Amino acid sequence: MLECVSKEINQVTTMAPTESLREMFAMIELEMRRLRHDRTEIYTRAVQPILWLAVYGTVMSHVRDIPTGGIPYIDYITPGVLLQSTIFVSVFYGLTIVWERETGILKRLLVAPSSRYATVIGRAIASGVRATVQALIIFPVAILLGVKFISNPLYILAAFLMLFMISGGFAALSIFVASLMKTRERFMGIGQAMIMPLFFASNALYPISLMPPFLQSIAFVNPLTYAVDAVRGLMISGNVTNIFADFTAVIVFDILIFTAASISFRKIIE
Amino acid sequence: MTYAKLQKVNMKIALEIDRLTKIYEGRVNALDGVDLEVKDGVIFALLGPNGSGKTTLMRVLTTQFRPTSGVARAFGHDVVREDAQVRKIIGYVPQEMSVWTDITGFENLLIYAKIYGVSSSSRNKCIQDALQSMGLEEVEGKLVKKYSGGMIRRLEIACALLVKPRILFLDEPTLGLDPSARKAVWENLMSFKKEYGTTVFFNTHYMDEADLYSDEVAIINKGKIVKFGTASDLKRSLHSEIISFLLADDQTGMGRLFRSNVLDRIKALNLVDDAVVHGTVLDVTVEDGEVALPAIMELLNCEGVKLKRVKATNPTLDDVFLKYAGMRQQRNQSGYHHGPN
Ligand SMILES: Nc1ncnc2c1ncn2[C@@H]1O[C@H](COP(=O)(O)OP(=O)(O)O)[C@@H](O)[C@H]1O
Ligand SMILES: [Mg+2]
Repeated sequence: MLECVSKEINQVTTMAPTESLREMFAMIELEMRRLRHDRTEIYTRAVQPILWLAVYGTVMSHVRDIPTGGIPYIDYITPGVLLQSTIFVSVFYGLTIVWERETGILKRLLVAPSSRYATVIGRAIASGVRATVQALIIFPVAILLGVKFISNPLYILAAFLMLFMISGGFAALSIFVASLMKTRERFMGIGQAMIMPLFFASNALYPISLMPPFLQSIAFVNPLTYAVDAVRGLMISGNVTNIFADFTAVIVFDILIFTAASISFRKIIE
Repeated sequence: MTYAKLQKVNMKIALEIDRLTKIYEGRVNALDGVDLEVKDGVIFALLGPNGSGKTTLMRVLTTQFRPTSGVARAFGHDVVREDAQVRKIIGYVPQEMSVWTDITGFENLLIYAKIYGVSSSSRNKCIQDALQSMGLEEVEGKLVKKYSGGMIRRLEIACALLVKPRILFLDEPTLGLDPSARKAVWENLMSFKKEYGTTVFFNTHYMDEADLYSDEVAIINKGKIVKFGTASDLKRSLHSEIISFLLADDQTGMGRLFRSNVLDRIKALNLVDDAVVHGTVLDVTVEDGEVALPAIMELLNCEGVKLKRVKATNPTLDDVFLKYAGMRQQRNQSGYHHGPN
C-alpha cells in the first residue's frame, strides 16, 4: 500500500475528470445512505406540500376565476407544489454545509485529493437527488387526490429531470449563501426569506398574466417560473411548445450558480 | 548544491518549514517566522498553549490556505504550488469532530475510500485494516451518533489511515477525552506507526502526551518556535531542579508569604531561578538544590511561614514549558498526574 501511494506521488498530473466524477458519486452515495438511516425527514417534509394539494388545491378549485386553461386547479398547482417541496430541500441543504463547516468535516474534505469544484458540484447534485426522492413521495399522493398526469413515461421522466436540475441549482445557490453567511441563524433567516417569494413570484399558483407588472418582471427572471412551465407542460397539460426555452433557461441558471458556488466555496473554511 | 541533489537529501526529511508567517485579515499575527524540520518516520509533537498558532501551522501544511510568506514542503512538495501532490500523501484529522454522525462508522470509511479512489478490489481490505488498527471492528455497523468521544476520535483517525498516508497530521488528537480513551487512541496509533513507519505530526497542549509519545518536540508560543529537541533534551536543557514546599495550610503563614514580598526575596537569592505559588505549594526552581535549600529555608523561617513538607524533583516537560512559553499547564486538566505532589 505504501508503495502504491509513493507511485502516485510520481505521477505529477492535474486533477483528472474521473477523480472529480468519483467524488461526485461518493457524495451522492453519502446522501442516499443518510436517507436510508433516517427517512422521517423526508416524510415530515412531505406533509406541507400534501396539505397544499389536498386543502388549498381542493378549496380553490371551486373558484372558477383563475384561468388555468381548462385544467382542474389542483392539477394546475401540482407541478408548483412538487417544485416547492424539492426546492425546500435544496435551499436548506446549505444548513448541512454550515454544520459541516462548524465541525471539521469540510476542512477534511478539502484536504482530500479531489478538486474543490467537484466537492461543490457533487454536494449540489447529491442534494438534487435527495430532492427528487422527495418529489417521488408526493407524486403518488397527487395521483390518489385525483390529479391526472400525462401517461407518456418519457414526459414524466423529462419532468423529473427538470425537477432534479432545478433543485441542484438551488442547492448550489444555498451553498453559495452558506459560504457567505457563516452562522446557522443568519442562514436560516435568509433561507426562510427566499422560499416564499420565489414561490409566489412564479407561475406556480396562478398564471403570470394575473400578476401586477412589477411581480411579472420578477417572475420573468425567476428560474422557478421556467421549471414550473416545463413540469406543467410535461406532466399535466401536455403543451410542450416552450420546453426548449425552459430547459435552456434552467441550464443557464445552473451553470451560473454552480460557478459562483464553486468560487465562493474556497472562502468557506477560512 | 544542484536542485537534483537537494531533492535527494530531502527524501529523508518529511517536512521542511522555512520562515513561515501567517497574518489573518491583516491583523492577527498567528505565525511569526516558523522554521522547522521534521524527519521521515518520527512522531513529532508541536506543543503550545491555546492560541499559539498550532492549528494555523497545521492548516497551512495541509494546504487549506496559503501562508502570508515563507515556504513549506512535504517530502519535497511545496504546499502551495504543489498542493494537489501534497494532498495525496497526507492524512489529516482536524481539531473539531469530522465524521458524519448520521451514518455508520463503516459507511464513513466507505465514503472516504471512494473519495480517495481506493479501487473496489482493495476497498474492503483497506477498510477492515483501518477498523482493526483503531480497534473499531465491533462497532463498525453502529451509527456514529451512538459512539463515545474516544470512539469518534479513533474513527476519524481510521479515516485518515485508510490510504496509508506518508504523513499523518493530528490536531489535538485527544482533546476532551478521558485518560483511558486517550490511552486507547495512543496505543492504537503507536502500533499503526510501528507497522507502517508513517511520520506523525501532532499538535497538543498536553505536556505528558508530548513527553510519552513523541520522538521530537517543538514548543510554539505566540507564533514562534521557542524550543526544539527530544523531550529529554528539553528537560536536560534546564540544568536545574525544583524544590517544592508544601505550606502548612494556615491563613497567617500564607498571608505572610505574600505580604512582605517573600516571593521576590526568594527569587533574589543566589542560585534561584524562579519561584511560583500554586495553592499551598511553593515551587522554587534552583540551579543547585543542596546550596540553595538552606538559604530558602532560613528566609521562610524568619518570616514565620510554616512548612509541612519539602520535596526536590527533577524538571518535567511542564517546567520546560513554563520557562519557554511563560506559562504553566493546569495540572488536573491533563489526566496524567505528575509533579511534586
Ligand atoms: N480564521 C481565523 N481568523 C482570524 N484569526 C484567527 C483564525 N484562526 C485563528 N486565529 C487566531 O490566530 C491565533 C492562533 O490560533 P490557532 O492557530 O488556532 O492556535 P492554537 O491552535 O495553538 O490554539 C489566535 O490568536 C487565533 O485567535
Ligand atoms: Mg488549535
